[in-house]
Amino acid sequence: MNAPKISLLSVTAVMAILFAPGLARGAASEWSANPESRVRLISPWQVAPRSGELILGLHFRLAPGWHVYWKNSGDAGFPPAVTFLPAEILGKPELLWPAPHRFDLPGGLVAFGYADEVVYPVQTTILPEALPSPEPAQVNPATGGDSLFIRADLDYLVCKVDCIPYRYTLTLEQPLGNQPLADPETSPLLQAWLDRLPRTLAEVPGLKVSTLLDASRAEQPELEIRLQGVTALTGKTDLFLDTHDLLDAGRPRIKVFPEGVIFHVPMKPREAGKQLPGKITLAWTVSNLSGKGETFALAERREVEVWTAAAGKPEEGKRIPGEAPDRLARLLLAAFLGGALLNLAPPVLALFAGEVLALRQAGGSRVREGAAAAATGVVGASWSAAALALAARRAGMPAAGWGVELQEPALGALSAVASALLALNLWGLVEFPFARAGASRTGTGRHLLAGLFALPLALAWPMPMLREPLGYAFGRGPASVCAVFAALGFGLALPYLVLALAPGVVRAAPDTGARSPRLHEGLGFLAGASIFWTLHALSRQVSPEGLAWIELSLLAMALLAWLRAREGAGRALRIVLAFGLAACAAGALWLADDNRLAPRAAAAQQPTLAMKPHNGLPPTAREPIHNQTSGG
Amino acid sequence: MHFATKIRTILLGLAVLSLATLPALAAGTVGETAPAFKLKGADGKTYSLADYKGKVVVLEWVNPNCPFSNRHAREKTMSDLVRQHGEVAWLGINSTNPDSGDYLAPAAHLAYNQKNGINYPVLYDETGTVGHAYDARTTPHMFIIGKDGKIAYNGAIDDDPPGRKAKAERVNYVGGGLNAEKTAKNPDPASTKPYGCSVKY
Repeated sequence: MNAPKISLLSVTAVMAILFAPGLARGAASEWSANPESRVRLISPWQVAPRSGELILGLHFRLAPGWHVYWKNSGDAGFPPAVTFLPAEILGKPELLWPAPHRFDLPGGLVAFGYADEVVYPVQTTILPEALPSPEPAQVNPATGGDSLFIRADLDYLVCKVDCIPYRYTLTLEQPLGNQPLADPETSPLLQAWLDRLPRTLAEVPGLKVSTLLDASRAEQPELEIRLQGVTALTGKTDLFLDTHDLLDAGRPRIKVFPEGVIFHVPMKPREAGKQLPGKITLAWTVSNLSGKGETFALAERREVEVWTAAAGKPEEGKRIPGEAPDRLARLLLAAFLGGALLNLAPPVLALFAGEVLALRQAGGSRVREGAAAAATGVVGASWSAAALALAARRAGMPAAGWGVELQEPALGALSAVASALLALNLWGLVEFPFARAGASRTGTGRHLLAGLFALPLALAWPMPMLREPLGYAFGRGPASVCAVFAALGFGLALPYLVLALAPGVVRAAPDTGARSPRLHEGLGFLAGASIFWTLHALSRQVSPEGLAWIELSLLAMALLAWLRAREGAGRALRIVLAFGLAACAAGALWLADDNRLAPRAAAAQQPTLAMKPHNGLPPTAREPIHNQTSGG
Repeated sequence: MHFATKIRTILLGLAVLSLATLPALAAGTVGETAPAFKLKGADGKTYSLADYKGKVVVLEWVNPNCPFSNRHAREKTMSDLVRQHGEVAWLGINSTNPDSGDYLAPAAHLAYNQKNGINYPVLYDETGTVGHAYDARTTPHMFIIGKDGKIAYNGAIDDDPPGRKAKAERVNYVGGGLNAEKTAKNPDPASTKPYGCSVKY
């Protein structure tokens, strides 16, 4: 762009005004005014160059409360539509868009645009070959040029809550010459608004952007945009998406963290059942970012990967016509084996060992009954998890996974809370999942409860074998999900099923007798130590502050359990402390969700896309604030 | 409380929590079943979507005090389509909140209809329930419901938000959609960005 050298030329312009009367024309059209707004066409030049780029501006001043629109007007309205003449001389004028503001309208609707004042810069190019040669009589001796009559046919909508459309024709006689002269009023005004145009990625060194469109829930995909290496301003930074043919964007959830910001945008497909392509091009603008003492906006257009499977690679969840019929059987087997192997996870193992000790002491027919009850609990929990996962997906929550692929930090926190409860239980501080020694109710109900505990304990433990079955199941539908979770549940219940079918096996376990409490306490340490793993997994998904709060919640659980187990605690106090303990457990889950930081699994695996110059916006008249380099 | 009862309570709570977020699901999406409704018209009669089972239905969100609705009324954009497609049930829906300055009482609405040659029913959705069920955002915002009861088109009336073009030069999406429905084809495009005033919920 041939930038108007405003700072250098402004003095010249003032001199020109003082010493060259007759050049006052040319920098702005007359205002076209109405009660809600006024608008004019401005040029930064009193005398513009006869060729090359010419930046004009549509200058609006708005009455209080009224706004005009951004290129995506939001839920209503429309952006200004303008036609410039003579088209053969001005090339293809393009309206440029400063970062907008969000206006909330009744009914939860939103509009994107500008209040008070805005200048839409207009990028045009004077095509010198199309300019008629000036008649000698028309040549201004002061400028050595003639004039270009510019006409803008403008339609715009100005809204408060009500909207009023206006149509004006703005005309500007722009002197041309060999010695360009900037206008002292319009030139800085236009410059100020050029400065407010969003920067390109290349203009912000060190900024990394990663994106993902999670379409595993086809009815409500979610877009994640992650900016790293920039400061976002809480309450000010906002995201605005350009209009898209396939998807409408909802209100973004914005998570600011010290190194950047993450946007999660619920997207609504315009057509139900229409499969999204593997990649779609999305464009957006982020407002009110901060870096090196400046506030700026960022605009970006890029291909975004569409993730369509619940877990694993994008292709895994798709229906594949004619796929091998034995695939389901193979995946069910994998789910079963994966579930069985999860029994080796430390907290699950501690739970099972505790069950074996309890059943060994019970002896007789109660071994079979107890083991069957525990197996029922495990399978029941698995089916319940399937139902909840399906309901959660319908309700707009993210896709299911397992272990480190769990995309919901709250589920990781659930696993940590379950492990903590098991440890506290084995240390004799809380009554479940195992009954306290000598408790009146130690029947099959308690074994059922222990079984129900197995799945939450296993949630956070990595099991790559489950990735494909789960991805397949969620790509297929509820029946497949139930089948895969059932297979997983039967696998997880395998040790209990063995005990139920062959109760005599339990006698292989040593009769611990009086040492039983010590063994329980030892198992408690196994369960307690496993919390470290779950917290380690969580550290990738929640902010450090969030993790610290979760750890405090777990510590508070332990403290409350200890206070509650003291012999002097009365009944009322025990109830209060139990509620406190439950509140801490629930708080840990809430804290995990509220402090979620890590991108979804696939986003974390996705390499950061190479940065490329934004092709929707030209360089502006200002000097680049940073060098034209950027991080990857 | 017995442990089993506790667990049942927890599971029930989780299920209720899940269901509580269901209203966030997409509404008015092309290809989905059109939400049912029963609304009172400006003429005092009650209209139900179920009454038009097996027919193509057009829903037009309307607000006579919105310049866009008003312009299309004056230009007879909708009325001409109603005349051309006699087999189609055309229903205007006014979701304007009675507290809004744009609200027009039924009698005044009928007078406005008569003045502009609008002879299709206009229904009152004063609570905005039906508007939100369809995710109607603008006046006008147009929906075509196919004979199968599913939404076939969702979007603008035409391609000319400022109304710059001559009427014959505009691409009338609803007209095109209704022609497609006649030949049992899907409207193309099936969705566009609606324009106009915001619905005054």
